Amino acid sequence: MAIDAGTHSEVMLTVSKKRKPFPVGTFITLLILGFGAVLMIAPFLWIISAAFGETTEVFVLPPRWLPHNPSMENFETVFRQVPYHLFMFNSIKLAVIVTIGQLITCSMAAYAFARLQFPGRNVLFVILLSALMIPGQITIVPLFILVRNLGLYNTHLALILPGLVNPFGVFLLRQYFVTIPTELEDAARVDGANVFTIYWRIILPLAGPVLTTLAILTFVGMWNAYFFPLIMINTPELQVITVGLTLLRGQYGAGALGPIAAALAMAIVPVLIVFLLLQKYIIKSVVSTGLKT
Amino acid sequence: MSPKVMTYKAMKRREMWTAYAFILPTFIGFVIFIVGPMLASFAISLFDWNMLTPPRYIGLANFEQLFRDGRIGSVYLTTFKLALMIVPMNMALGLGLAVLIDRKMPGILRNFFKTSFFFPFVVSAVAVSIIWTFMFHRDLGPINYFLGLLGIDRIPWLNSSIYSPIAIMIADVWRNVGFYVLVFLGGMQAIPRDFYEAAEVDGADSWKQFRYITLPLLSPTVLFLSVISVIGALQIFEQPQILTNGGPGDATRTIVLYLYEQGFRFFDMGYASAIAISLFAIILILTAIQFRLSRRWVFY
Repeated sequence: MAIDAGTHSEVMLTVSKKRKPFPVGTFITLLILGFGAVLMIAPFLWIISAAFGETTEVFVLPPRWLPHNPSMENFETVFRQVPYHLFMFNSIKLAVIVTIGQLITCSMAAYAFARLQFPGRNVLFVILLSALMIPGQITIVPLFILVRNLGLYNTHLALILPGLVNPFGVFLLRQYFVTIPTELEDAARVDGANVFTIYWRIILPLAGPVLTTLAILTFVGMWNAYFFPLIMINTPELQVITVGLTLLRGQYGAGALGPIAAALAMAIVPVLIVFLLLQKYIIKSVVSTGLKT
Repeated sequence: MSPKVMTYKAMKRREMWTAYAFILPTFIGFVIFIVGPMLASFAISLFDWNMLTPPRYIGLANFEQLFRDGRIGSVYLTTFKLALMIVPMNMALGLGLAVLIDRKMPGILRNFFKTSFFFPFVVSAVAVSIIWTFMFHRDLGPINYFLGLLGIDRIPWLNSSIYSPIAIMIADVWRNVGFYVLVFLGGMQAIPRDFYEAAEVDGADSWKQFRYITLPLLSPTVLFLSVISVIGALQIFEQPQILTNGGPGDATRTIVLYLYEQGFRFFDMGYASAIAISLFAIILILTAIQFRLSRRWVFY
C-alpha cells in the first residue's frame, strides 16, 4: 500500500479500500503520458544540444538530443553579435526592482484594505479590482504617449513605474491578510505599537507564503515580458532578454540554429533552475491564483 | 505608563490618514497608468494623430474606418479562428491529461508528468515561439523529419495559409497546456472521494464516473478556464509575430498584431486606439455571454 502515497494519501489512510487492478489501463495511461512528456522535453534537449554544438554542425538530421563535440563556440558568437550580457542584466535588474517594488506597494495597500478603517474603503477596493478587466495591451497607445510626454521613452523607468501597480497583487495579499488572527496585532497595539510597526513587524513576517507567491508571479512575468519592452525601449543596450532574442534572430536567417540556440539556452536555463528549486511553490501559486503569466 | 493619551476620535482620524498613505502609491499608479490611459484611449480614438504633427479632431471617423477597412474584417476572422482552435484544444487536452495524471500511479511519476507538462509555461512565449520556428523549419526541422519517417511529405508549416494557423496553435498549446492540466487537477482534487466510492458501489464504470461526477463538479473550473483562455487567445501576439509575422499574407495576422502595426509601425495612434476599444468591447461581450450561458451548465 506504500505505493498509494499519491495525491489522495490522506483519504487512502482512512478508507483503505481495495481497488480492482487495471494493469492494461495503467500501462496505456503511462504510455500516453510518457509520450506526451517526451514531446514536452525533447525540443528543449534539442535546443540545448544545438547550443553546445559547433556552429558548422547545426541542423543535423536526424536531430541530436545530446551534443556531439561540446563547444562554447555558439555562446561566443552570441556575445560578439549582440550585447547579450546586457540583455540578461537588464532583465534581471528590472525583474528584481519590479518584484521588490510590487511587494511593497501591494502589501501596503492590501494591509490598509484588510485591516484599517477608513471612509470609502469598499468602494475604492471595488474600483481597483475593476482594473483586472482591462487587458494591458488595450491601453498600450495612451501609455506609450504618456511615457513619451514624461520623457521616459527608452528608459527603464518606463517599464518599472507601470509595473509597480498590480491590482491583482493587492487582491491576492488582502485575501491572505484578512485570515491572519488579530490577537497579535491587538497585543502589539496595547504595547504602544503604531500601524506601521504592526504592518512591518507582524503582518509581513506572517505573510511569507503569499508574498513568495506574488514574488514568483511578478518575477516570472517580468522576465518573460515582451510587448512592453518592445514598444518602450529602443536602444539595444537597454533592451531585455526577450526582445534581445528577436534582435539576435533578426541578424541571422531562420537557418542559424547554433547561436540562437545558445541564446535560448541562456534564457531558459536560469528559469529551469529556479523552477526546479521552487517547483512546489510555483505550481501551487499558479493553481491557487489561476494567473496566466 | 502610556506617554500619549489620544481620544478615540483622534485615533480614528489618525488611522484614516495612515490608511490613505498606505494605499496612496497604488492609487497614484492606478490613476496614472491604468485609469488615465483607459479614458485617454477613448479621447485619442477621436483624433487623427501620427505623433509628428498636432492631433486633428475627426470625430468618429476612426470607428467608421473599422467598418471600411477591408483588412480588419479578415484580421478579426483570423483571430476568432485561432481562438476557436486554441481554446478547445487547450481545454480538451488539458482535461484529458489531467484525468490520466489523476489515475493511480506512483507519486514520483505523477510529479514527473506534472513538472514536464508545466515547465514550458514558465518559459517566455518568445523563447517558445523561436524554438518552434526551428521545429517547423521546412527542410531541416525535426517535425518534418519525423513526419518524413512516417512517409509524409514535407509540410510548409510557416509558409502556407492552411498550415500556419495550425503551427501557431501547436506552439501555443505546447506552452500553455500544462497550465490547464494543473488547474484541472486542482479542481479534481477538490472533489470528495466518497462520491466515486458510492458510484462504484452502484456499479458505475469509470466513464460514467467521469461523465456524472467529475465533469459536473469540474464545471466551475471549466468556466473559469474558458473565460480566461478566450480573453488570452483573443490577445495572442508573440506566437504569430515571431513564427509567421502575420503571414503568409494576412493568414495569421491577429488583432493585437494588427493594432501593434497600426500604432507603432505606421504611427496611426487614433486608429490603433479605435482598434483597441473594439477589441475591449468584444472581450467584454464574449465574457458576458460566457457567464450568461454558464447558468445552464455550471453546477455549483
